[in-house]
Amino acid sequence: MKTRVVVGSAIASLAVLVTGWVVGTTSNIPVATSATKLADGKYTGDTEQTRYGAVQVEITVSGGAITDVAALQLTNADSRSQEISNTAAPILRDEVLKAQTASVATVSGATYTTEGYLTSLQSALDKAKA
Amino acid sequence: MIYVFETMGTVVSLEPPLKVPEVEAIFAAYDERFSLYRPTSELSQVRDGKPLHDSSQQLRDAYALALDWREKTGGAFTPHRPDGIIDLSGIVKALAMDAAGRVLRDKSNWLLNAGGDVLASGPGASVGIADPSDRLGLLTSVMLVNERRAVATSGIAERGDHIWGRGTFAQVTVVADDIITADVLATAIMAGGWDTLNLATDGWDVDVLAIDRAGNLAATPGMRTLVAA
Repeated sequence: MKTRVVVGSAIASLAVLVTGWVVGTTSNIPVATSATKLADGKYTGDTEQTRYGAVQVEITVSGGAITDVAALQLTNADSRSQEISNTAAPILRDEVLKAQTASVATVSGATYTTEGYLTSLQSALDKAKA
Repeated sequence: MIYVFETMGTVVSLEPPLKVPEVEAIFAAYDERFSLYRPTSELSQVRDGKPLHDSSQQLRDAYALALDWREKTGGAFTPHRPDGIIDLSGIVKALAMDAAGRVLRDKSNWLLNAGGDVLASGPGASVGIADPSDRLGLLTSVMLVNERRAVATSGIAERGDHIWGRGTFAQVTVVADDIITADVLATAIMAGGWDTLNLATDGWDVDVLAIDRAGNLAATPGMRTLVAA
């Protein structure tokens, strides 16, 4: 998800870059219109520093249209990006280790009332340590 | 050795018993000021019409903090009951735990559990996560590592009075570096469902384990590491 955003922003920067070339060489027609003809070839964007790391893309123009976008540098390619996506994903019960009461120092659970505490695991733990 | 005392309608355990009078006094002071179960508490007086601008700095600070969290969580966390009454029970316990943690700052190897929310002096503690479908069983446990010191769990509780909204999850556990963030986000995710879960994991450095009402689990990458440790 974030990768897509980053690439999108890099493409946006590249579009500005390409617009600059177009403006300089032809007229001030926006690059987004189909009337603009780009010379065929590959265009490499600047390396953009995003909050997720460095991103650089290359576009391929064929017949005046962008036919391909490739990421030359993408934050996903390095380990740093692995820490970036913090999205929760499904996990099987078997993947979380079963824990024994005796092996934990304390218990986190939904807020219990004074009455509920009396019959809670935490109460049993506290009694054992009293 | 462990010291156990009642406050705020729940039970607090401090292991080992360190600075007990001070810690107990902190919880008592927060309860004294913020409990809506005490007719004479300052927050009860506000409920009964005392103007906020005449209230104490502590009360206004806590209310401002809660409003700030409401903004940050897109309204999933709120300091208002559906009837408009200011109810700070969703944040006051965490504020008291945080204050107790600062009093205990120069001590090591302690664990504070207040009504199922946990604050530790540092890494190394193994914290069990209650199984919402079996109150005497554990779903799993997490190991506190690095800067992680706080674990808060919110659920379809015996006390549901600070979580409103339609439920996606049966229980949400948030592990964070501080107890206020952990507690508020656990409450907010319970109330706001997946949208708030994604907001929380995107915007805060936290680990989350959530169980939906069908019993399916979801975990952040960091939580997978903690439950396997």
